[in-house]
Amino acid sequence: MKVTTRLRISTLALAGSLAMTGCISSGGNEGGSDDTITIGISLPLTGDFSEPGKGVERGYEAWAQYVNDNGGLLGKQVELKILDDQSNADRVASDYEKLINQDGVDLVFGPFSTRLVVPAAQVAQDYGFLFVEPAGAAPEVFEQGFDNLFYAAPAVADDHYDHLADYIEAMPADQRPKTAAYATMDDPFAQGTAYGLKDRLEEMGVRTVADEVYPPNTTDFSSIAAKVADTNADIMVGGTQYQDAVNLIIALQQLNYQPKMAAFSTAPTNPEFPEAIGAKTEGILSPTGYTPDADWPSNVEFVEFYTELHGNPPGEDEANAWTTGQVVAAAVEAAECADPSEECQQELIDWLHGNQVDTVVGPLSWDEAGRPQSAHMIQQYVDGKIRIVLPEEQAEAEIIPVKPAW
Amino acid sequence: MSLLIQSIVLGLLLGGLYALLAAGLTLYFGVMRVVMIAHSAFLILAAYLAWFFSTETGLDPLLSLLVTVPLFFLIGVGMQRLLISRLRPATMTMMSVLLTFAIALTIEGLLGYVFTGTQRRVRLSYGGGDFEVFGANIAVVKLIAFGLAAVSLLVLYLVLTRTRFGQALRATIQHPEAARLVGINTDRIAGYGFGIGLATAAVGGTALSLDSTIYPSLHWHWIGPLMAIIVVGGLGSIPGAAIAAMVLGLGQSLLQIPLGTTWAQTFFYLALFATLMVRPQGFFGGRLAQRF
Repeated sequence: MKVTTRLRISTLALAGSLAMTGCISSGGNEGGSDDTITIGISLPLTGDFSEPGKGVERGYEAWAQYVNDNGGLLGKQVELKILDDQSNADRVASDYEKLINQDGVDLVFGPFSTRLVVPAAQVAQDYGFLFVEPAGAAPEVFEQGFDNLFYAAPAVADDHYDHLADYIEAMPADQRPKTAAYATMDDPFAQGTAYGLKDRLEEMGVRTVADEVYPPNTTDFSSIAAKVADTNADIMVGGTQYQDAVNLIIALQQLNYQPKMAAFSTAPTNPEFPEAIGAKTEGILSPTGYTPDADWPSNVEFVEFYTELHGNPPGEDEANAWTTGQVVAAAVEAAECADPSEECQQELIDWLHGNQVDTVVGPLSWDEAGRPQSAHMIQQYVDGKIRIVLPEEQAEAEIIPVKPAW
Repeated sequence: MSLLIQSIVLGLLLGGLYALLAAGLTLYFGVMRVVMIAHSAFLILAAYLAWFFSTETGLDPLLSLLVTVPLFFLIGVGMQRLLISRLRPATMTMMSVLLTFAIALTIEGLLGYVFTGTQRRVRLSYGGGDFEVFGANIAVVKLIAFGLAAVSLLVLYLVLTRTRFGQALRATIQHPEAARLVGINTDRIAGYGFGIGLATAAVGGTALSLDSTIYPSLHWHWIGPLMAIIVVGGLGSIPGAAIAAMVLGLGQSLLQIPLGTTWAQTFFYLALFATLMVRPQGFFGGRLAQRF
C-alpha cells in the first residue's frame, strides 16, 4: 500500500513536471496564438544605421497594417515584434536568437545593412527559418552558403551602377571620362556599389586616380576631399551611406572641385539630402531600386496607402521593407502555412527558390544563393528634383551628361 | 605640392576645432579629477540646439550661442553641485566615468526621442563657400569654427590667468586644502569650473554644427580622439590640450596623404600609447597639470 502511494506520488510528480515542461515550451508560443501570425524583426533603430533603420521600420509597419486592413495573412492578423539592435552586429544575432527561441515567433524578416544581415541570417539558418531581407546587398551576403536567404530588392550591390556603366560605355570614346576617383566607406554594401562600377570603368580604360576607403566612424572628410580634389578626376564615385556622402560632398564643394560626373550611393535618394546640400544637388547621380512612380500594380496601392498614412510617399528603405513583406506573404499563401516548424519554413524556402513574386519594385526571382535577378535604375537631380534617367525606357527625365558646377 | 599645402591648412583648421572641443574635457579633470565621458554628448546637444534654433528661426546658428553658453554654464554648475560633488573624493575619477557615461546615454536617448534619429545638417548659404590662399582652398565655415576656437580659448586663458576667479580656480586645481586655508570656497569654485567647461561645449558644439551632419549617437565617434588629445597634452592643461590638438590634427591630416583614412585615425591612439609609455603625465602639462 505504501509502495503504491509512493508510486502514485512519483507518477504525479512526473506527470506534473511533464506538464510543466509542456507549459514552458508552449508558453514560448504565446506570441503566435491561433488567430495571429507573429513576425520577429530586429532593426537598427538607434546608432549608426538608425536613419535607414527607421525607414525600414515604417515600411514593415505600413505593410502589416495594410495586410491586417485587408483580411490578414491566411485569414490571421499579422503582429510585428520589433527589437532594437543598436546597429550592433552582436546584438542583432542575440535578438534573432531571442525572437525565435523565447518569443516563439512564426516568421522572421531581415534587419538593415549587410553587416547586420549576415549574423542575423546565420541565426535564422541555424533554426531553419526562411530569411527574406530588405537591405543586405553586398557580395559577401551571398557567399556564406545560406540557402534560406532572399534579398528583397532588384539587384545586388555590385550591379547597382550597371545602367550607368552601360551609358558611359555607349558614349563616344573621346567624350568618356578619362579618370575616376573613388571614396568608399569601409562597409561591404557601400563599397560593393562603388567597386562594381570601378571594375566596369577600368575595363573601359578609365584610369583610377584615387581610391580612398574610410571607416564608418570618420568625422572629418576634408582630408579625403583634398586627395580627391588634387587628382581633378573626371568622375567622382562615392560608395556611401548617408552622413558620409553629405559631409564628403560639402567638403568637395569647399575645395572647389568640379567633376564632370558625380555619383553617390544611398544618400541622394534620401528626402533629407536636398535639405542638407541646398541648391547644389543638380546633376548628382545615384542608383535606386525603387521609385514611387513605378506603375507595377501593387506599387500604386502601396504608394497610395503609405502616403495616406504618413503624408509623404515612401522611400527606398520603406519600399524594400514592404517588398520583404510581399515576398514572405506570397510564399506563405502558396505554402498555406506560417509557423516555426521546420517543414513549414522549408516549404516557404523551396517555394521562393522556384517562383517569381510580383512586388512594388517589379517582379523578383532569385538564384540559389538568394541574389535577385533584376537591375537598379539610375536617378539624377534634374531641375532640383531627383528623377530616373536610366535606363531610357523607364526614364522620367533626360540625363545631364556633364554635371553643372556645385 | 598643392595637396601638401592644402593638407597643412586643413590640418590646422581641424586642430583648432579639436582644441576647442577638448578644452572643457581637460578643465574638468584639472579641477576635479572628473573624467567627463558626457562632454561629447553635450557637444552634440549644443549642435542640435544650434540646428534647431536655425531651422526654427531662420537665423544664423551662431546666434544660438547667446542662449546655449549661459544655459550650459548653469547646467554645468548644477551637475557639479548636485551629482559630481556627491561622489566620494577617493573614488572620484573612477565613479565619474560611470556617472558621466550614464549622462551621455541619457542625452543620446533624449536627442533621439525629441529629434528622432534622422541625420541633420544646418543649411548655410556659405556652407560650401571657400576662398583661395596660396593655392589652398579655405572653407568659410571651417575658418569660422577656427575663429570661435581661437577666441574662446583666448578668453578662457585670460580668465584663468588674469582674474581673481581664475586665480582661485587654479589654486583649487593645484592644492585644494591650501586654497581653502586662504579662504577660497573651493566647492563653489569647482562648480563654476565645471560650468565653464560645459560652456566651452556649447561653443564647440555650435562650431561643430556648422560643418558636419549630426545624429544622436555621433558623440561616441568624438569622445575617443578628444580623450587622446587631453592625455597627450597633459590632463588639466588647457594650453597643453590646444598644442596636442594642433599637433594631432595636423598629423592626422598629413598622414592621410600616404596612409589613407583608416590608418591616419589610429595616429591618435598611437600618440596616446606613446604618451602613456614615455611621459604618462602628458607632454605639456606638468605633473598633475599645475601650469596654465
